[in-house]
Amino acid sequence: MASARPQLSLDELRQLKWLLGGLLAVQAIWTVLYLELDTWTLLIPATVAVAAAIVWPRIPSLIPAALHTLAFPIILVVFLGDLWLNGQLLPAMIRLDVLLIVYRCMSYRARRDDLQLIVLGLFLIVVAGVVTVSLVFALQILAFTGCALAFLFIITLVDAAEAKHPAPRTPLFTWGGAAETPGWIERADWGRLVLRLRAAADWRLLALGAFLFGGVVVVSGLLFLAIPRFDLGGSFFLERYLTRQARVGFSESIRFGEVTDIISDNSRALSVEITDDDGEPAVEGVPAVPYFRMVVLDEYRDGTFSMSPRLRNQVNRARRNTFVLQGTERERGDPLVFWTFYFEPGISRFLPIPGSYIGLRFQGMQNVSDPVDLQLVALENEPVSMVAYQLRNVSVSLRVEDNPLGRRRPDLRPPPPPGGRPPLNEEAYLRLPGLGDSDHAALERAITELTGGLTLEEAGRLDPMDFAGRVGQWLADRHTYSLQSALPTGPGDPVVRWIGGTSPGHCELFAGALVVLARKAGFHARAIAGFRGGTWNAFTGNLTVRNDNAHAWCEIWDRDEAWVRVDPTPGTTDEAATGTVLARNYDNSWAARLDSLRILWYRRVVNFNENTQRDVVRSVRDAARESGERMRALLDGLEARIKAWVSQPWTTRRTAGVATGAAALALAFWAWRVWGDKLRWGGGRGSSRRADPVRAEAGRWLSRFATLSAAGTLPPEGALGELTRLRYAAPGSWPKPERVFREARELWRLLRRSR
Amino acid sequence: MNFEIEETRNPSSHAGEKTKRRWWRFRWSDILWGLVYPRGGPRITATPSGAVLIALAFGIGLAAYNASNNILFITLSLLLACLILSGMMSTVNFRGVGWRVLLAPPLRAGHDALVTLELTNRKRLLPSYGLWFDLVAIPPLLAGLPAVRASDRPRKRLFLRERLGPGTSVRLDWVFRPERRGLQRFELEGVGSLFPFGFLRKSIASALRREIIVWPAPVEYRWQGAASARPQPSGQRYPRAGAGSDLLALRRFAPGDSHRMIHWKASARQQQLLVRQFSAESQQVFALWVRTPAEVWTRPEQFELLVGFAASLAEDLFRAGRLRTLSLNGGRARPVGRVRDLEAFLDELAVVQPVPEADLGTVSSDNSGDGISSTRNLLSFVPDGPRGVAALIDGKRAATA
Repeated sequence: MASARPQLSLDELRQLKWLLGGLLAVQAIWTVLYLELDTWTLLIPATVAVAAAIVWPRIPSLIPAALHTLAFPIILVVFLGDLWLNGQLLPAMIRLDVLLIVYRCMSYRARRDDLQLIVLGLFLIVVAGVVTVSLVFALQILAFTGCALAFLFIITLVDAAEAKHPAPRTPLFTWGGAAETPGWIERADWGRLVLRLRAAADWRLLALGAFLFGGVVVVSGLLFLAIPRFDLGGSFFLERYLTRQARVGFSESIRFGEVTDIISDNSRALSVEITDDDGEPAVEGVPAVPYFRMVVLDEYRDGTFSMSPRLRNQVNRARRNTFVLQGTERERGDPLVFWTFYFEPGISRFLPIPGSYIGLRFQGMQNVSDPVDLQLVALENEPVSMVAYQLRNVSVSLRVEDNPLGRRRPDLRPPPPPGGRPPLNEEAYLRLPGLGDSDHAALERAITELTGGLTLEEAGRLDPMDFAGRVGQWLADRHTYSLQSALPTGPGDPVVRWIGGTSPGHCELFAGALVVLARKAGFHARAIAGFRGGTWNAFTGNLTVRNDNAHAWCEIWDRDEAWVRVDPTPGTTDEAATGTVLARNYDNSWAARLDSLRILWYRRVVNFNENTQRDVVRSVRDAARESGERMRALLDGLEARIKAWVSQPWTTRRTAGVATGAAALALAFWAWRVWGDKLRWGGGRGSSRRADPVRAEAGRWLSRFATLSAAGTLPPEGALGELTRLRYAAPGSWPKPERVFREARELWRLLRRSR
Repeated sequence: MNFEIEETRNPSSHAGEKTKRRWWRFRWSDILWGLVYPRGGPRITATPSGAVLIALAFGIGLAAYNASNNILFITLSLLLACLILSGMMSTVNFRGVGWRVLLAPPLRAGHDALVTLELTNRKRLLPSYGLWFDLVAIPPLLAGLPAVRASDRPRKRLFLRERLGPGTSVRLDWVFRPERRGLQRFELEGVGSLFPFGFLRKSIASALRREIIVWPAPVEYRWQGAASARPQPSGQRYPRAGAGSDLLALRRFAPGDSHRMIHWKASARQQQLLVRQFSAESQQVFALWVRTPAEVWTRPEQFELLVGFAASLAEDLFRAGRLRTLSLNGGRARPVGRVRDLEAFLDELAVVQPVPEADLGTVSSDNSGDGISSTRNLLSFVPDGPRGVAALIDGKRAATA
C-alpha cells in the first residue's frame, strides 16, 4: 500500500535545509540588534549577504575556491584586529561569531557545518539573553529552537537519504577556479519548493510538529522549575568582558541639558512592584508621584553639577561584595512591604532609591556601595543587564538624615546650637566656585528681590524651607517650564544669567537656580538627579518609570539633622511637601499589557531562585494537601450521609423502595448482558470500514490475540477465523457479531487464566 | 512461494523473544555494568551532534550554576528538553512499525537473489521516518572449508528514506549473492534510527532470523556419456509428459493444443475441454547416484565440485527428460517425475557432507516392477585426479568436471 501524499525528493530536502539554515542565521544575527554594540555596520551587510545566499543559492559557487580556503584565516585576522583595536573581548567575539555565521551561509554546508551554524547561532542568542535579560530573549530562543529543531529534522532525513546516494565531497583545499555547484542548487526553484511543501504537508505532520514544539516548551518549563538551585556566590561572569557607557547618563557629573536629553528618551527605565508579604499589591500610603533619588551633586561650576572628590571617595570607600544591604530604617513591627525594582541597563550605576528602608537585597552578588548618610546605592560599574533589587519597608519621606546612625540613639546626639547645626562636609554645600563678582552681585539682587528687600544676612536668618518656598515662587513668576529652553547669552555663569532673565527653563535650571541662590544666602543646598513619577500599570499595579520621568530637584539643609527635598520646578506637586494626594495615573494601553508581561518575565523567570523554587514546591505541596483534605471532607460527608440514610428506620415502604431499586438495577444489568451486545453491534454497519464498530471491535480482539500469539499462547483457529471474517469480509457473510465477541471474551479469559 | 518472517515493534510484545523469568540475584556490579552496557531493550548512544549537545548542556549548566543566571538555566532546560523529547519521539517512531523479510527461493550459490524487507506502519496517525535495518547474511558452515569471519559476512544497511505514512507499507530490497551452498542464514541484527533530530542513535536488537537453503552453484562439465550408456528397451514409459503412446493424464485445453488430442468423453463429463497427455518414452535414461564417502572425497574443493557437478548434471538430464531416478548415499532411489522431485534432491545436495564409508549403503529401487534394474545406466561419481570429478555410467567415464 503506497502513501498517497507526495514526498519531498532528496534535492528538495537539501533545498529546504539550505533555506532553514539561512533563516536560522538571519535570526541569530539580528540578536546583535538589541545587544546595542554599535554593530550596524556589520549587521546590515551580514543580513544582506545571508538573504542573498538564501534567495540565490548559486552565489557560493561564484566565490573563488581560494577565497573559501582562506576565509577562516581572514576571519581570524579580523577578529584579532578587532580585539587589538577595541580591547573588548565579548564584542569582538560576537562580531567573530557573526562573520562565521555569514561564512557558513556563503558556502555549501556539510552536516558538520550545519551543526556549527546552530552552535554559533545559539551562542549569539544566549549571550544576548544573558547580557540583556530581555523579554525578547524568551521569544527569540523559542523561535530559534523551533527553527533549529526543524533544521535538525531535515538534516536527519537528508542524512538518511544520502546514505543511499552520498553527495560528492568537495576537496578541502582548492586553489583554482570557483567552488563546485551541487546538483540540487542547479535545480533549485523556491516557488516550486513552496508548492511541493504545500502538497506534501499533512495535518498530522503539522500537528506532530506543533506537539513537538509545545512539548519542548512545556518540558523545558518543567525542567526550569525542577532544576535544583543553589547559590554558589558567583557573580555575573560576562560583565567583565563587556563595558557599556550610559546611554542617557546619570553619572557623577551632569551638565545642564543632560537630564533634558534623558527626558527626550521615552524608553523604560525601571519597573517597581510594591507588594506585601503575600505578593499582593500594597500601594496604600505610597505617593502617586514618588521621587527616586539616584545621584547627589554637591559641587557646581560653570553650568555643571558634579560630585565633589570627597563625596566620590565617600561613595567608593563603602564598596563591598554583597547581596544584602542594611538600611537606615528600624524594625517597628510594621507589616512587610517590598519594593521590587527592575532597573534597566544603560541608565546609570546609581540605583533609584525612593526613601529610607530597612534592608536591600539583590538577586545575586553585587559589588556595591551605600553611604548611609547620602542615601545612595551605587554599583561598581554600570550594569549591562537588568538589575533586580528589593527594598523592605521603604519610608517615603521628604527628609534624608545626614547622620542616620545618630537618629537611632537620639540620646547620644547633642542639642543643636542656637544658630543651627551644619551638615557633614558643610563647606562643600556652600561653595560657589567659578562665579565672578557680577554673578555674585546679580544673585544678591535676586535674593533681595525675592525676599522682599531683605539683605543677605537677613535672608540667611530665614527658615530654610521658607526661603526655598520664596525662591520657588519667585522663579515660577519669572520663568515658565519648557524643555526647549535657551540660556541668555552673555558673560558670567549660565545659571546666574538665566536667573536674571525671564526665559523658560527645564528642571535642571530651576534646581540649579535654587541651589545657587540658597548657597549665596548661606543655606546648605545640593542638587539631586533621579526620577519623578511614572505610570501605574492598570493590570499588575506596578509602577513603570520611563526615561522621560527623569528629573532634577534639590535638597536644602534644615539646620538640624536632615536634608529636605525642595522641587522648584513649576507644576511639580510634591505630595509629601504639600500634603496633596494626587490621583494615580493608571495605564491600560497595550504598552501596559506588554509591560505586565515583562514584569511577569522578570518576576517569575529572571528572578527565579532557590527561595522561589522553595515557594513553588511549598505551594504545590499545599495545593496537594488542600485538594486531599477537600477530597477527604467530601468522602467523609458522603459517608456520613450514607450512615445517616442507613440508620433511618426501615419502614415497609422504604424497604420496598430499596428492594425495587435493587431489582431494577439487577434487571438493567441482566438486560445489558443479554441484549447489550446486540444493541451495540446490531446497527451501524455502514459502508465505511473504519467507522464500522463491528470491524473496529473485531480488529481490537485480533490485536489482543496477536499479543497472546507473540507470547506463545495460540488461540484456536476457528475463533480467529470468525473474528477475521468480521474484520475484513463483506457484512453479508458475517456471523452474529455479538456471539463472536462473547465467545472471544470467554476465550480471552480462558487463555489468560491458562497462562 | 515466499518465505516470510515478521516482527512488530511494540513494547507490549517482543515477537520471537521468549524469555523465561527467573529469580534474579541482586548484585551491585550488575547494576553498574548495566548502566555502562545495557543488556536488553533499546540501546541509545549519542551521535556526534548529540555529544556536542550534551557537552553544550554541561557547559551551560556549569555557567548557570556559577553565575546563578536564569537565562542560562532556561537554555539548559531547552537543551535537556530537546534531548528528552528526542528520546520520546524516537520511541514513538519505532512503535507500531512491523517488518518482515521476504525471500524468493530457489537461492543458488553464485547467483543474485532478492532479499526484500517489507515495512508496515500500523500506527493510526503518525508516520515513521529515517529507520535503518542492519541485515547480515551468515554463510553456511561446510566441512573442510574455513568458516567466514564475522567481519567478512555480507552485511547491508537498508534505509527508509521516505516517510512511512500511517497504515502504509514500503519495501526495501537487497540484491544478495550467496557464495556457498548450504543453509544460508539471514539475520536482522538491529533496527536503528536517528529520528527526530539526530542527537541519539537508538537501536533495538531484533530476533528476526531465517535459514534458507542455497543450492550448489552450477559447474561447467564435459559430457561423453552417449557412447557408454546402454540403450533402453523400446516403449519404456516414464511418469512424465512426453510423446509416448500411453495415456498419462488429462489436462485442460490450452490454445495451441491439437484438436485431435481432445478427450471428448471426459470433456463432456466435466463440461470443459480436456486434452490427453501421454507419458514420455526414451531410449537412454539414467539413474543418478551421488555417494560422498569421506575416505574418497578427502579434498574439500573437490567435494564441492562433486556437489555442483551432480546438481548440474541432474538438472540437465531432467531438462532433457533422461533422468529416471535420483539417490544420495544410502537413501532410496526415487523416481523423478516432476520438478518438485528434482528440487528435493537439490535441497539434499545443498546440505550434503562427506560421511564415513561404513555409513553408506547401496542404492535400492522402490519400483522393482518396472523391469529395469536400478543399477542400469547408473551415473556415479569418482575423483578425477587431485582436483577433477568424473561421472561414470555403469563404471565407464561419461562426463568430467
